[in-house]
Amino acid sequence: MAEVSDTLSLEWGGRPARGATGPMLAALEPAAHRYSFQPGARRRSSVTYLDTVDRRLRKKGLSLRHESASDSGVLVAAGPDGVDSTPLPEEPAWPALAERLPAGSVADRVGPAMWVRAVAPVVETVVVSREITARNEDDKIVARLHWQEATANGSPTLARVSLDPLRGYAADAERIARLLADSGEFVVAERSVAEVWLRHAADGEAERRPGIAPGMSADVAVATALLGFLDAIERNVAGTIDDVDTEFLHDLRVAVRRSRSVLKLTGDVLPERLVARGARELKWLGDATTPTRDLDVYLLELDELATRLTVGTRADLDDFAAHLHRERATARRSLVRALRSKRFERWCESWRQSLAEIVSSGGSEQSGSVAELARDRVRVAYKRVLKRANAITPDCPAERVHALRKRAKELRYLLEMFAPVCDRKPHRAVVKNLKRVQDILGAFQDGEVQSASLRVFAERMLDRRSASAATLLAMGELSAGFAGEQRQARDELTDALPGFLGSSVHKRVTAMLP
Amino acid sequence: MKIVASYNVKGGVGKTSTAVNLAYLSAADGRRTLLWDLDPQGAATFLFRIKPRVKGGSAKLVSGTRPIEAGLKGTDFPGLDLLPADFTYRNMDIDLAHSKKLTLGTLLDGLAEEYDVVFLDTPPSLSLVSENVLRAADVVLVPIIPTVLAVRTYDQLTDFVASFNGHHPTLHAFFSMADRRKSLHRSVLTDLPQQRSGISPTAIPAASLIEQMAVRREPVPVYAPHSAATKAYRSLWTELSDLLG
Repeated sequence: MAEVSDTLSLEWGGRPARGATGPMLAALEPAAHRYSFQPGARRRSSVTYLDTVDRRLRKKGLSLRHESASDSGVLVAAGPDGVDSTPLPEEPAWPALAERLPAGSVADRVGPAMWVRAVAPVVETVVVSREITARNEDDKIVARLHWQEATANGSPTLARVSLDPLRGYAADAERIARLLADSGEFVVAERSVAEVWLRHAADGEAERRPGIAPGMSADVAVATALLGFLDAIERNVAGTIDDVDTEFLHDLRVAVRRSRSVLKLTGDVLPERLVARGARELKWLGDATTPTRDLDVYLLELDELATRLTVGTRADLDDFAAHLHRERATARRSLVRALRSKRFERWCESWRQSLAEIVSSGGSEQSGSVAELARDRVRVAYKRVLKRANAITPDCPAERVHALRKRAKELRYLLEMFAPVCDRKPHRAVVKNLKRVQDILGAFQDGEVQSASLRVFAERMLDRRSASAATLLAMGELSAGFAGEQRQARDELTDALPGFLGSSVHKRVTAMLP
Repeated sequence: MKIVASYNVKGGVGKTSTAVNLAYLSAADGRRTLLWDLDPQGAATFLFRIKPRVKGGSAKLVSGTRPIEAGLKGTDFPGLDLLPADFTYRNMDIDLAHSKKLTLGTLLDGLAEEYDVVFLDTPPSLSLVSENVLRAADVVLVPIIPTVLAVRTYDQLTDFVASFNGHHPTLHAFFSMADRRKSLHRSVLTDLPQQRSGISPTAIPAASLIEQMAVRREPVPVYAPHSAATKAYRSLWTELSDLLG
């Protein structure tokens, strides 16, 4: 049945006492002649709020929670347009990808927002609750009040009463709500309980992130940015080792690439030996992550790739999928060894220490200001992109397109790093424009790389005698598809480049710089 | 959305008890359920402790000038709503006759997204209202007291429904107020389901426990969940649930 009206939630400012409803009943005393209030049994349950590590559900206005008392409990998804719940047949295991959630309305609601990311506990709370029924003179229930005291580690207890009017009895519910609000003990809650806990968790996370700021010296700004990337690398190590979802590795790689670009383009403001070691270790780390990521990309896209087959079927790709899984298991073993190695551990430690020392020293005057650095390096990087872009013709060798792609990526990382010191509006427009070119360059690169790696996979599968003729034929179809995409991307690139090279973009780049 | 009518031309045969208890069991089973108390006496409405009043009355409801949703009331039981009785329902025949386009069936169409099952508790008569009910229903539950005359009434109903053009509801008769101490009841209870199709072997007993509904103002399974009466109603709900699919 449709929701009659939104559940009203009121927050109590007093000190909760394990489900004692006295304060609420006292507030309702003036209505005793009209209603009788009957408290139900006290219930204790645990409520765990879940989200992806990058808080995808919260960003989309969704919340997901696992409520359990004595059984395996229920999974509840809430969004702006309603609430869905699914009983769990067994105790759930977290983290979990969307396909591991029980099929039904909850998975349908949160699955698209989760994308390929796994949900894991963000906040674990213990809830003591009681239902109080409000009955009229006919002893008919007209509203249900839910008293709830929730506690989480390190947070004050949240005491609330929510009011569910029964259909056709909205006036009674409003009267009861008004009494509670008029008592002065209760105030209408501005946020849902889920939002309060998730916001609390998010505040803690935000505190960890350092960022560059105008007024910094150039070396402090670069060291600060690198510390931020190191945070991101370390934040994603556990998820990568545990194989929670594929994006932990992806985010780790992005942080490594950003670090390498920053070192390459602005590293001269830092001590030379530090930069040399950082560049070497980051390259080693990047190389250690590449094989697994390449295989992840294939596996993530396999179902979508199968839809492009015109002669073959998805079943024809089963041997290929099995081969990818085997190769991924091997690649992951090497990756996990690298991430658990003393080499990685020592480098992270010394890298953090050296960068932190630069930041705490306040920087050197010789390095100049972050504004000067941004002006100088963005201009240089932009000119490099223009130069490479001007060299692109419909028939030029693929290497030139790859070179442009690398320069464009470096410029993008630089623009994002210097965002806090740039003029926001033109900066956003330039990044948007660059992103469009990068998407086309990415499609070109993917087409070539995937087509080439399909050939390598096919040879290995033949060597291992793990490929059927149907599989090889289907892989051939995919390879032809990639080649076609590459050609299409090439045409689009030729069309898109003049837009990026135009004078309007040049003006925006000039306008955004400090 | 499936429509179930509890109907018999005779009064006092257990129509309201059937509608109330089965609507409760339907909701308890997870089906979003509505019970429309079409009887101006408002017994079902009384049993759910709801005031027998619908703003605008029968005329506005039947003419469609006041939306049916506006009259709905939540019962004390999750998943079960009630459209209460109103004394103006005594004029519903006339209102239906005036409303040339709208029928009870078309009025209920607007609730199709909101409910899985709608029970219609009908007044004891053969009128335009009851004809509307029979034409709208997917299943008609027919409580019959195990006597020869009551069976004859059921036969008349069967013939009447057979005369419909197009849609025919499934008639599902069952014994109501069955008293196994009476030899006539015993013999009808045993013989009739074997002789005739569409008659359930389930018999709702003549029990004071069921009569207590009017005092307790609750469905029987709420206050006597392990009683023979509840068992019989559960059995009838299982049969109905299979018919509804």
